[in-house]
Amino acid sequence: MRCVTCNSPLYRSNGDLGAMLAVTVTATVALVIANALPLVTVTSAGHQTRATLWQAIAASYDSELPFVAITLTLTLLVAPAIELGLLLWLLVPLCARSRPLAFLSMMGLLRTLRPWRMVEVFFLGVIVAVVKLSVLATVLPGWGMFGVAVMALALASLSSFDQGALWRRAREVAS
Amino acid sequence: MIRGIDAGLATCHNCELVVRMRDGDAHAEADCPRCHASVRFRKRNATTYVIALLVAALALYFPANALTIMYTEQFPERRADTILSGVKFLWERGSWGLAMVVFTASILVPVVKLCALGFLVVSATRRSAWHPRARTRLYRALEVVGHWSMLDVFVVALLTAVVQLGQFARVTPGPAVLPFAGVVILTMLASASFDARAIWDRGVRE
Repeated sequence: MRCVTCNSPLYRSNGDLGAMLAVTVTATVALVIANALPLVTVTSAGHQTRATLWQAIAASYDSELPFVAITLTLTLLVAPAIELGLLLWLLVPLCARSRPLAFLSMMGLLRTLRPWRMVEVFFLGVIVAVVKLSVLATVLPGWGMFGVAVMALALASLSSFDQGALWRRAREVAS
Repeated sequence: MIRGIDAGLATCHNCELVVRMRDGDAHAEADCPRCHASVRFRKRNATTYVIALLVAALALYFPANALTIMYTEQFPERRADTILSGVKFLWERGSWGLAMVVFTASILVPVVKLCALGFLVVSATRRSAWHPRARTRLYRALEVVGHWSMLDVFVVALLTAVVQLGQFARVTPGPAVLPFAGVVILTMLASASFDARAIWDRGVRE
């Protein structure tokens, strides 16, 4: 449904909370994979190393620019993890037809946090880094990359759901 | 065409509920019945915030592009890359597609965003009647592409990390990383502070 004056989307038809919960669970599993498994495997002169997301953050903290490490932590770990935690917190009770605790503050936090997660940008960043590194060493993507890709897709899909559906269900449940 | 402000209706910025305002005054404020956020016809002092954030972003834009973003050392070579020379490196290696993506995300998007937001805020403040629909579309496009400029910061961080772990060379982030990330964050805040509804206030006096 679009505005007749400016053609901006007003609301989306996709308001199925069950489907939203399913995508949230998918994204949570992908988040665990993205964090636990190596993003890339680097081979140089017979020496093999695997780099995970946590190691990337730790290394950028060591290399004189803690600000970069903070940006990475916020946009890649904290923002998506809190977003998924909030969605689980909200969707599980709503799907079971009860009102989540602290509904108003959780909804507010969700809206504030959303623009700051940049998992999809990071995915492209890994690809660029792999191409740049291929001059220095042999680089192969690992399973962590797969987790990042799935998480990026699932999070994008979550923002395409109609957020108003959460508000409407909460009102139905309250009355 | 009728605007919400003419009908005494305003959208809550937090939960998007359409609220009937008791007071029709342009500066009226109400409490959202659903989420208790403060509801207004237009964001307060939006122009001031947007311009302040844009000026700050513009000031950081020059060091972000002129300074080195990344040092690479692999004995006996040592190179210092700015954002532009990083794109050139990818292009010369034959990764044209990727070079175009990085050029768009790191160089084109920040410039376009600074200029376009400046244009939007000035035209909205002057109550311009020039193609409001196109300007609204421009604003929505800016909101979508904004955070993609963070790409280069991620690339530098990843390269630093992977190379440090592999110990076959040395990659160090340069002084441009900080102002570059600053430009991205400040322009994101600026576009979030802008009130797209103001685009439609042509010929209306407060």
